Amino acid sequence: MTQISLRGLHKFFSSTHVVRDLNLDIEDREFLVLLGPSGCGKTTTMRMVAGLEQATHGEICFDGQRMNEVPTQQRDVAMVFQNYGLYPHMTVAENIAYPLKLRGFTTSQRDEEVKKAAERVGLSPYLQRLPRELSGGQRQRVALARSIVRKPKVFLMDEPLSNLDAKLRVAMRAEIKHLAHELQVTTIYVTHDQVEAMTLANRVAIMKDGVIMQLAPPEVIYSDPINLYVAGFIGSPAMNLITVVAHAGYVETVNGLRIAVTPPRLGPMTMGLRAEDMQLTSGIDAAFTAEVYAFELLGDSTMITFKLGLQSVAVKGDKNIRLQFGDQVGVRFDESHLYWFDNDSGNRIPASHSC
Amino acid sequence: MTNTTHHANDQALTPGYVDTAGDHFRLWGSQMMVFIGICVILLPIAWLFLTAFKLPRDVYAIETAFHFTPTLENLQTIFEHPWNLGNKIWNSFAVASGTVILAIPMATMAAYAFSRFEFRFKKTIFLLVIASQFIPAAVIVLPYFLMFKQLGMLDTRSALVLINMSIVLPYAVWMMKGFIDAVPLEIEESAMVDGAHRTRVIWEIVVPAALPGIITAAVFSFTLTWNEFLFALIIGKQDALTLPIGLIGFRTERGDLWELMAAGGILITAPMFLISLLVQKQFIQSLTAGSVR
Repeated sequence: MTQISLRGLHKFFSSTHVVRDLNLDIEDREFLVLLGPSGCGKTTTMRMVAGLEQATHGEICFDGQRMNEVPTQQRDVAMVFQNYGLYPHMTVAENIAYPLKLRGFTTSQRDEEVKKAAERVGLSPYLQRLPRELSGGQRQRVALARSIVRKPKVFLMDEPLSNLDAKLRVAMRAEIKHLAHELQVTTIYVTHDQVEAMTLANRVAIMKDGVIMQLAPPEVIYSDPINLYVAGFIGSPAMNLITVVAHAGYVETVNGLRIAVTPPRLGPMTMGLRAEDMQLTSGIDAAFTAEVYAFELLGDSTMITFKLGLQSVAVKGDKNIRLQFGDQVGVRFDESHLYWFDNDSGNRIPASHSC
Repeated sequence: MTNTTHHANDQALTPGYVDTAGDHFRLWGSQMMVFIGICVILLPIAWLFLTAFKLPRDVYAIETAFHFTPTLENLQTIFEHPWNLGNKIWNSFAVASGTVILAIPMATMAAYAFSRFEFRFKKTIFLLVIASQFIPAAVIVLPYFLMFKQLGMLDTRSALVLINMSIVLPYAVWMMKGFIDAVPLEIEESAMVDGAHRTRVIWEIVVPAALPGIITAAVFSFTLTWNEFLFALIIGKQDALTLPIGLIGFRTERGDLWELMAAGGILITAPMFLISLLVQKQFIQSLTAGSVR
């Protein structure tokens, strides 16, 4: 039951401005993901919420109460660290019980809560082991169990899945999502993985250089990116961004290819198009024809890459398509799927036509 | 033995590998080196033990080097007047334990501060702590004597504990800082988020995680104090004499009493053997530390 407000938050590390005037309201029970490349200030922001880092300027409020001066120990937040932060000399059970021990629970109360938490994350057989005797995924579960064993006001997760292998990451992702649904606790989740952000979040805040670029639900971030940066970050593969010069009725790419579309204005700009919004075609409806630069089988689909000058364009194709290097292939797309961006500011330009 | 065979088999399976006499010779040579090394280290100790059970007349004779009638007389004599080694053992033990008990918690806290906190002149202060050990003992032994004389603390165990702490602390701080540096900051932050205050974090998280290092430092401090000679000689007179000083007493005007000195030698080395047996596991752990994650 906690609503978090960050107001005009700044953080300097000596002279480096890591977080710049960050304003963010996180609703009660919301799952908010801070997404961005390393060094964008997302972890620092989370650490300020935890109280592990002091804000240089600005306010951190839980339910309208200023928390800046409240020490970490009294903020009642639970945190899952990237390297799990397990106590190496304590068994799994002792690790999970530690927050309860600090809160003066009796041994029998502790045992009961530990049992429940361990069951929830599937750790029951390992309670008497030491962390070093566990696999990465199991350690991750211990960290999770330790954070859910008490009922914290806020969950903070700092890249909790980044040390796991790809397969385990997908499994743990689903478990975290289910846990969040069950527990209904306000959660801030830091990651640089856009898939994690898309799958877990109620809302995603995309950060760059200490500034939030866009704050919106995942589907909006995907379908309505506010600028080039967000467009290039979200989606797998990321949106194709093609530098073009717009003329009336067509655009011209750097290598002189002309594509018949209706640009929102004339002059140089960037045209964005997602791989999954394009189809291969052999008919006359092709918007452009190009030579296959690379052809990859993905199992459920295929990925065809073209080169337009130095820029590559990826197109997602049907799983049954087979192509050779150098084949000439036509590509078509619906103009309503086009995104336009200003080259200088990177901002989105609204499409001229309505759909 | 199995290992060696296994290794040899592996090599034999390697294409183009020819088992040569040279390899055998090299292996034999290195084994010889190890044997000689062990002899150099262990022979004096063995000799000490043998001598401790000899009668005075057997000590110098070649024919009784290994064949002699063992006696426990020496081990008895050293506890009697005028040697009174029992007293000195107790002093040594009290001084060494006192030093360790006081110095290790202090060193732990100092090492923690040097490891985790940022403060002005941190590097300079740390360097000064270490540099205090560059002063030769001979230079400060007289000032110490005068100082403790003024304080009326000559010939007291407390004075020796104080002096030994000044010797041991810089080493202990320096050793422990390394071990605390190796404890990931993340587990401390984790404990703080869980609700632990700094003192609890230190005693419940950092100290257990750095325990092998702390034990190493404690053993090192104990050994250093146990063997300390110069200051014990200057400060001690009658009541606060320690074992190393007691051994000197066996060099009398009637000559050196080797059999008694050897018996005393057993007493002075015995705790070291005991300790090394007890903490062997911790020592190995501290050597292999860093595999926590």
